[in-house]
Amino acid sequence: MKLDRRRFFGSAVGAAATAGVAAKWTWPKYDVSYQKPISSVAVLNANVYSEKLESLILDGLRQFRLDVAGKSVLLKPNLVEDLPEPVNTNSTLIGAAARCFLHLGAARVTISEGPGHQRDTELIVQTAGLEPHLVDRRIKFVDLNRDELERVPLKASYSGLHELWLPRAVLASSFIVSMPKIKTHHWAGVTLSLKNMFGIVPGTKYGWPKNLLHWSGIHESILDICATVPIHFVIADGIIAMEGNGPLQGDARQLGKIVLADDPVAADATCARLMGFDPLQVRHISEGSRFLGNLHENRITMLGEEATTPLRPFSVLPEFQYLLASGTQPFPARQRSD
Amino acid sequence: MHPNSFVQLLLTRQLRSGGWSYCGSEQSSVEATSLAAMALSTESPDVARSGLDHLSRLQRWDGAWPAFVGDTEASWTTALTLCALNATGEFGSARENAFHWLVSERGREGHWFWRWKFKTVDRNVRFDPEKYGWPWVSGSASWVIPTAFSIIALKQYTVCNHLEASEKRVRLGVEMLLDRVCVAGGWNSGNSVVYGVPLRPHVEATAIALLALQDEHRSVMIDKSLDWLKRRAVSFDAITSLAWSILSLFVYQEPVDGLKNRLAILIGDGKKIQDNAVLATAILALNCGEMIHPFVILR
Repeated sequence: MKLDRRRFFGSAVGAAATAGVAAKWTWPKYDVSYQKPISSVAVLNANVYSEKLESLILDGLRQFRLDVAGKSVLLKPNLVEDLPEPVNTNSTLIGAAARCFLHLGAARVTISEGPGHQRDTELIVQTAGLEPHLVDRRIKFVDLNRDELERVPLKASYSGLHELWLPRAVLASSFIVSMPKIKTHHWAGVTLSLKNMFGIVPGTKYGWPKNLLHWSGIHESILDICATVPIHFVIADGIIAMEGNGPLQGDARQLGKIVLADDPVAADATCARLMGFDPLQVRHISEGSRFLGNLHENRITMLGEEATTPLRPFSVLPEFQYLLASGTQPFPARQRSD
Repeated sequence: MHPNSFVQLLLTRQLRSGGWSYCGSEQSSVEATSLAAMALSTESPDVARSGLDHLSRLQRWDGAWPAFVGDTEASWTTALTLCALNATGEFGSARENAFHWLVSERGREGHWFWRWKFKTVDRNVRFDPEKYGWPWVSGSASWVIPTAFSIIALKQYTVCNHLEASEKRVRLGVEMLLDRVCVAGGWNSGNSVVYGVPLRPHVEATAIALLALQDEHRSVMIDKSLDWLKRRAVSFDAITSLAWSILSLFVYQEPVDGLKNRLAILIGDGKKIQDNAVLATAILALNCGEMIHPFVILR
């Protein structure tokens, strides 16, 4: 076939368009990578929320040899609503963690949250019982929903949002600790250290709830937020966790574990395994393992006991049966009706 | 401590721009400034006026307000600011532009495609997508608090001039609130039943929704919501929720003196309240009955 100028030009344009579309699908959507060669995770056993948690966590943190001396540490618990256990990260655990970081030499510790559903943060803090843990003047609470904001370009492009306004308290911190409650989640499957970072997005700009993130894709928004604001450490509250119709209407599940990790993907993968789920089935965890951290067990060093799959996996809504790790028996969430 | 002392505290926190930030920064917040201007309207009208002047300078070309200085997008604060301006009877052009923006703004489920999706495919949340209100930020769904503030602002603005388009929009918003009321009364942030499970009401959302419905026919669900709020208001010690409960119960002519006394005790000298929006709301609540209620609807 003779290739005249017109055909050549048409073919070139077609090839360029095809290459453009292919690149859009295959080109990485992240500008950063926080992955390390090997990540560390420690699973601690604790059955109750007591004063003994402080020494347990301090011993656990020492295994990681963290360099927090002189740093401004920000603890980001999961405080959602003025509801009783197990909706929110337990305040005894939050207080213990704050004192541990001071003990390790942190200059100050800020406990920060921008609750996603209720505007009255004071009511949530009171109900969670956090106030007694704020008496040390080096520990303060910042309501991220009403902090001063800065426009920040996103370091990943999954959601298409390109930029977010984020609180100064978060951007000024030198060491960010995500402290999720281990829970199932009726939109995202699970809510762990990565999903917990939704709480840094300010309500005054994005609302209560931060509905724009839902419309932009929950998994996609999680990835963009965590690419932009890296999590340095995780302390996950799984002493009393939540199964079924989480994150608010689920049932308490006595798991008896606290998960510490220097990598949020490794932390969430371990928590998912402890719940009886396959972490690869959670989109933001599996995609996050490309650049936010390590998912596979061969790249995670367990400090202490292994993360074992429970005899009975966490119950899930029917839509989330696919989360269950192979070999586990499904245990559907208790069905309720109104 | 007398509310005047809290007024003095609020006055000392005004920014040079004329606005107020939430918590001690230099970033003026439209919500904090609107509430502060309302709270100061009687005691310090000149300062209140400077706050409103500041707000009028922040208004966008389309009539909406952003959430804070530096932000450029239209936001839920437009309704709150219109309420603040309505009380003055001035700023005619700014109010008119805000009114037109509010009448045309809608939650994302107001679009036919999303209405169809929520009716047919996505039914985990129980609501009628034909009844939509206002979003927190353009491009997202309707939620209770921005809808309630929008209804109040539009009802106040049209108090002497019931325009057909705005009446239609207000009715749709009222229907949305009544559609989303919790099973036993009160309002959650936006939904009443998710995955078949009834959600529990929130204090602030319930108080503000009731303010928006103050001139509506007293239906069973409004009465149930009012009862829930009365019972709940005596059971917590959070300043914002208590202040909004007082503001709401007052317009339903419920006794609020006991709640006001408790609020005054909780506030103490006021210095522990870092958030100026909270301080301003508390002043409004403590002055209930002694000044024109900024969210009253006289229709």
